[in-house]
Amino acid sequence: MDQRISDKLNTASNQVFDRARAAGAEADLIVSEADSLSLQALNGELDKHTVSSTQSFGVRVVKDEKVGIAYSEASDEESLNWMVDQALQNATYSKSEPHEKILDNKQHLTSDDSIFYLDDVATVDEQIALVLQLEKGLLEKDLVKNVPYNGLGQGTSSRYLFSSAGLQAASRSRAVHAYAYALAEDGEKNAMEGTGQVQRLTSSLDIPKLIEDAASLSLDLLDGKPIASNKYDVIFDNECQVQMFGVFTMVLSGKAAKEGINPWANKVGKSVTDSRLQILDKPLFVDGFGYALFDDEGTATADTAFVTDGVLQTFMHNSVTASHFGLETTGHASRGTKSTLGVGYHQLMLGLGEANDAELKAGEYLEVTSMAGLHSGANPISGDFSFGASGFLCRDGVRVQPVRGITVAGNFYKMLNKIQCIGDNAHWNWERSSLMPSVRFADLAISGD
Amino acid sequence: MLNPIVAQSVIDHALSLGADFAELFIEKHRTASVNTLSATVESVNSGIDFGIGLRIVFGGKVLYGYTNQTDEELLKRIASNLAARDRRDRVNLFTNFDFSVMPDKHPSRIILSKDAAIDSKVAFLVKADGVARAVSESISQTRGYCMQREQDIEIFNSEGLHTTDTRNYIRAGITSIATDGTEQSVGGWNDGGLLGWELSESMDAVIAGEEASRQALVNLTAKPCPSGRMPVVIGNGFGGVIFHEACGHLLETTSVAKKASVFHDKMGEMIANPVVNAVDDGTMANEWGSINIDDEGMATQRTQLIKDGKLTNFLVDRVGGEKTGFPRSGSGRRENYRYAPTSRMRNTFIEAGDSNLDEMIASIDKGIFASHMGGGSVQPGTGEFNFAVNEGYYVENGKILYPIKSATLISTGPAVLKEISMVGQDFALACGMCGSSSGSVPTTVGQPAIKVDDILVGGNA
Repeated sequence: MDQRISDKLNTASNQVFDRARAAGAEADLIVSEADSLSLQALNGELDKHTVSSTQSFGVRVVKDEKVGIAYSEASDEESLNWMVDQALQNATYSKSEPHEKILDNKQHLTSDDSIFYLDDVATVDEQIALVLQLEKGLLEKDLVKNVPYNGLGQGTSSRYLFSSAGLQAASRSRAVHAYAYALAEDGEKNAMEGTGQVQRLTSSLDIPKLIEDAASLSLDLLDGKPIASNKYDVIFDNECQVQMFGVFTMVLSGKAAKEGINPWANKVGKSVTDSRLQILDKPLFVDGFGYALFDDEGTATADTAFVTDGVLQTFMHNSVTASHFGLETTGHASRGTKSTLGVGYHQLMLGLGEANDAELKAGEYLEVTSMAGLHSGANPISGDFSFGASGFLCRDGVRVQPVRGITVAGNFYKMLNKIQCIGDNAHWNWERSSLMPSVRFADLAISGD
Repeated sequence: MLNPIVAQSVIDHALSLGADFAELFIEKHRTASVNTLSATVESVNSGIDFGIGLRIVFGGKVLYGYTNQTDEELLKRIASNLAARDRRDRVNLFTNFDFSVMPDKHPSRIILSKDAAIDSKVAFLVKADGVARAVSESISQTRGYCMQREQDIEIFNSEGLHTTDTRNYIRAGITSIATDGTEQSVGGWNDGGLLGWELSESMDAVIAGEEASRQALVNLTAKPCPSGRMPVVIGNGFGGVIFHEACGHLLETTSVAKKASVFHDKMGEMIANPVVNAVDDGTMANEWGSINIDDEGMATQRTQLIKDGKLTNFLVDRVGGEKTGFPRSGSGRRENYRYAPTSRMRNTFIEAGDSNLDEMIASIDKGIFASHMGGGSVQPGTGEFNFAVNEGYYVENGKILYPIKSATLISTGPAVLKEISMVGQDFALACGMCGSSSGSVPTTVGQPAIKVDDILVGGNA
């Protein structure tokens, strides 16, 4: 069953557009609504229980080729009028941007509730029982002393996009997630790692599996120690590989290309990576939690191939960056209620390779299962990175030594040209936002002993 | 912002459900940000955040809800929903509110609700951009920002507390990007404080632009960093991020109470080299991490964390104090009404010592001088931390040889505190944002230059 846009929201959007038009401006309006529940356990008791219900409005006005934005978390008439007036005033300071326009898009788009907004019949008491079960199950593991970070959360989020041109787009989804980080101790040695799960329904969470996964991540690393500083082949696990690509997505940004800071800015149509690599976005793949029916300008999304056989095909574009380059938008506009228009991917994926598991994991390599310092240890402009890391030294697919206290360093853009092989099986990260096969990278600098 | 009669009714309702403690945190938050890209205004954004957070405590259990609405019945319904599982007979009677406001130690003049001063901010950033690009033809681009906030808060609690405060934050910065045709590098400068745009009277756009470009140009010529264990001298100011990450987070009762900190049972013990003295001080006039009252309504304090190497205090919020028995330190902070407060840092620093930078560098055979640090993170349970070097140099035989790039320092809190062998005299503070379980809050880090005798340096040479 499809959702409907409430009369109250329609009235609010009409009020906003009437005021903008009266000032000679076109406008669009994003409305974000969220309800959430969050539960955390400590020592067998419920430790934290949070509920919320929020709404926020963000307007973008375009007048005389100048753009202004403003937002409000209050929805009364006076606040919405203030928001529009503020956006109009802010626009007067902006430089002329002839490429930024409110799109002539009159589409009515609505996401499918039967897939993304399922009725969850689980009660709060049942959800509390699950988070207590999660903590208890981990504490029962030998050497697990504490589960300082654990939780179960459920949320519904709705996103509405209106424009003075007549656009009406609405999407909403419901998700439930659970996570746990177990602190394992054995004498002076300790380790803390964790993971999570996300599902549409509480009943789909597999808490026993989460207990086993979180426990083994910590316990397996307990005896970890640095390895000798050297160059190693590296396979990042599902989480780390997605994180790596996430840190460096500026290289796919049409906005960064427009601004002249994208290192691949002049490489469309040219080889940028190993010829076996395919990088693509599949926003309409319903199995993922990054599903998006439309982008934040209201453009209907579609699959996009960024890199095909190692050749850069296109960047992520919104209507502004596309217009700058004389192209069509790729449906990657990104804007929150409080932010300006940018670009962003929906569900980033890598195409499958041809290496089976034995080929992928032949000989010696380092499996990286945890990285630290991603926000500070990377330079997306140059591609240089240096992260703290943990994982396992492996031979022929067998973990022979847990490894901690090392750094892994290199240049991401050069690394994409030093691929040993790409796996023939794809895996989701736990947040189910990216689906990728494992890639084996050659000769990364590891600092340890 | 919230009618006290409504506040009283909601808090009394929570107590009627058997809560030990109830609190309302009301927040109205104006923001205005200006962003420039190479001398042109890229965006001006402004808005108002408004919301109410309701915290109910049953024993050691914290229940929290928030909404954008001021409706009394909705707030009571949130209380009832939160307490449904713990409901019991009333254990506390409501105490009448006693309204009081702490004196403002952080006077602010050019504040957002009176004058957003957009023209003046644009002029400052454009001037800094011009200076930055004039430094060298290799400077291909600059970005500037100026962010101003005015946060009005009001707190009511079931112990009769009713107080208000206003916090004015200002921060400005510029980033230069240098290129030699094949490589790109970045450099930056920023300043900020707990005051209004009058901060501009003490900022110099020429210094800002020149410093951002100087750092970008140094990094453009930087060589790959050697890796391995070695001595490192960490520069003053933002270098204090090492203490923030390595130690500060581990002294918050948020992790101490859960025994998720390696320091949870070390009170009174030597946890650092005796040359180390460290403080977390929320009272410093107009400093970025200062506050008049914390987000639980308590007057903030100066807290000596480490004295001559010995652990002397934790950072304690209300719930952390109840769980650990340590007295509150005015450290209960939150990003906004969406978060329950937890123990957080304010202005955290290593105090000045008696060494000087030259003798620290002269004492190194082979090592690194990390003159400007970047950000980092820590895992409190194990104390493992990492942070990035934004500007660093390779040192050999006591001499600085060449700039290095992509260096990361990793260690654990307990290990690095004992490896600090020299503490300098050139004390300085720097602004930062700290993210943790109660959101992202303004914090100041600081230190004089320090020498760490042995730490793992990750590089790709």
